[in-house]
Amino acid sequence: MRMLLVPMALASLAPSSAFAVDYLSAEQARRLMFPEADSFEPRAITLDAGQLQALSASGVPARSAHWTLQVARHAGTALGYVVIDAVIGKFELITYAVGLDLDGGVRQLEVLSYRESHGHEVRLPAWRRQFVGKNAASPLRVGDDIANISGATLSCQHVTDGVRRIVAVVDLARRSGALG
Amino acid sequence: MKRPALSLAAALAVSQFVPALAHAQSTPTLEELARKVDQLSAELAAVKAQLQQQKTAAATPLPAGSAPAAATAAAPAPAPASSEPATVLTSYGEINYNRPKHSADAQADVRRFVLGYQHRFDDKTQVVTELEVEHGVASASDSGEVEVEQAYIEHQLAPSHALRAGLFLMPVGLLNENHEPTAFYGVERNFVETAIIPTTWREGGLQYVGNFDNGLTAQAGLTTSFDLTKWDAASTEGAESPLASVHQEMSLAKGHDIAVFGAANWRGIPGLLLGGSLFTGNATQGQPGFASARITLWDLHARWTPQRWDLSALYAQGRSSNTAALNAPPVGNPTLIPERFDGWYVQSAYTLWTDGDRALSPFARLERFNTGRRYADLGPGLTPDALPTERVVTVGVNYKLNANVVIKADLQRFKLVGDNNRFDLGLGWSF
Repeated sequence: MRMLLVPMALASLAPSSAFAVDYLSAEQARRLMFPEADSFEPRAITLDAGQLQALSASGVPARSAHWTLQVARHAGTALGYVVIDAVIGKFELITYAVGLDLDGGVRQLEVLSYRESHGHEVRLPAWRRQFVGKNAASPLRVGDDIANISGATLSCQHVTDGVRRIVAVVDLARRSGALG
Repeated sequence: MKRPALSLAAALAVSQFVPALAHAQSTPTLEELARKVDQLSAELAAVKAQLQQQKTAAATPLPAGSAPAAATAAAPAPAPASSEPATVLTSYGEINYNRPKHSADAQADVRRFVLGYQHRFDDKTQVVTELEVEHGVASASDSGEVEVEQAYIEHQLAPSHALRAGLFLMPVGLLNENHEPTAFYGVERNFVETAIIPTTWREGGLQYVGNFDNGLTAQAGLTTSFDLTKWDAASTEGAESPLASVHQEMSLAKGHDIAVFGAANWRGIPGLLLGGSLFTGNATQGQPGFASARITLWDLHARWTPQRWDLSALYAQGRSSNTAALNAPPVGNPTLIPERFDGWYVQSAYTLWTDGDRALSPFARLERFNTGRRYADLGPGLTPDALPTERVVTVGVNYKLNANVVIKADLQRFKLVGDNNRFDLGLGWSF
């Protein structure tokens, strides 16, 4: 499975791809997820070797030690986190944003851009709503707690795998105190 | 592009380790000092690379509405914007082994080998192609074929609306547009979507595709049609698949008759797909000596995938009009044009075992289909009898080695022609 990490800062600065059907900008997505936030603080996370091993052991290939998320704040109080990521759907990149509550549970999933000829259905609100409330203890697997979309199987699997990875990374960062 | 980030990680890991060394040995040797200098050099190189990346990011034009605060964020990894390829190579293939009741007829075949590419010209326009070789070798003395399976331009009118023009797969049934071996159960494609719907069925023309937030995907367009004037009444090909024997595949296709089609698929509830399609078009292409006749094909289909189950059902029916006039000249031949042909199947699969991307899914499928359900009246003694309905039960297993490679095995039992009973083994891939 081919995947690429989109750092928050670059995703905010430029269109997520030279070739993309953009539905939402990163700014629009984080405002949608945390409408009450008055600021978003960029936070870089670097997983150490032990954390990377812990991820792999739990069946989540880590892909990168370096992650950037945004801490949503209101009047200085943290509300949750936003992570922007990209995965390959069937042939091309899908850029998506995951909003997480302070306890690490998924608050919202938004598809920012989708490029392929088929499989647009991962954008459907009903499919994305399945992720709400999922956390590091959830299976987060298509065919288990996430229903597939017929005709968009690979897009569903790869976005689900991506969300599972993000939930696990944020969970590790929370537990290590990196999000203090 | 990833090297700076990796070396930074290595340098940071090493730098955390260095103080511990210093505590363990108060007087470092020359060798240790040299190593530390190397480590510091590596750190410095990594930091320089990171700074360069940040400068590049800062130089990127700021689109309207971007958050200025984000410009200060750390960005240790590269963005895909500059590296995402405009051209993607695609492929799928099927290598099958069929062992029927009479083992002398057993056969191994490179059923399909397909190469394709998708290329983006700009953010709204792409070309999608597939070139297929069937049966391993295509030559004057071999039965293989080389076919352009898809070749169309897709242009995005709006984020959820697109137009396609060229040679495209018809949005019919469950299999026609998603026909890669990793997408269906069983070594061979099901009979209903082979004998009634001539998968892989493509036509040339113009197609609109709309994706709506309520879960509806609507497709409609104008295309080339079938060519009933090439019906071969002396061959049995028309009895195996009436439409496959008269499809044109945009190979010097007669273009007198323009067909219209529409399809609606609803996926508003996760795991559920309900859909249907309709195609209708004249099919004698204004050829002299042939009465005008229309071919209509429609289908209804459903697929439900609750947890580990994968349940699907499909009914398809085809009709030809004015077949009495077309069948009169060749009357007495074994295969006349049917007025109606149809079929249905139900299928159930269950993912019994998974380990990462690996998955073992047994399945069972029941199909009933009839390629000559009814013939137009040609008069006593001349009207062909309706063909008997074939019933096929398929039981087997798909083993996915990963998301792209599948190994399949199944047993097929035919009610009508027991000699067709067979064991199938298949290897397939798709990427």
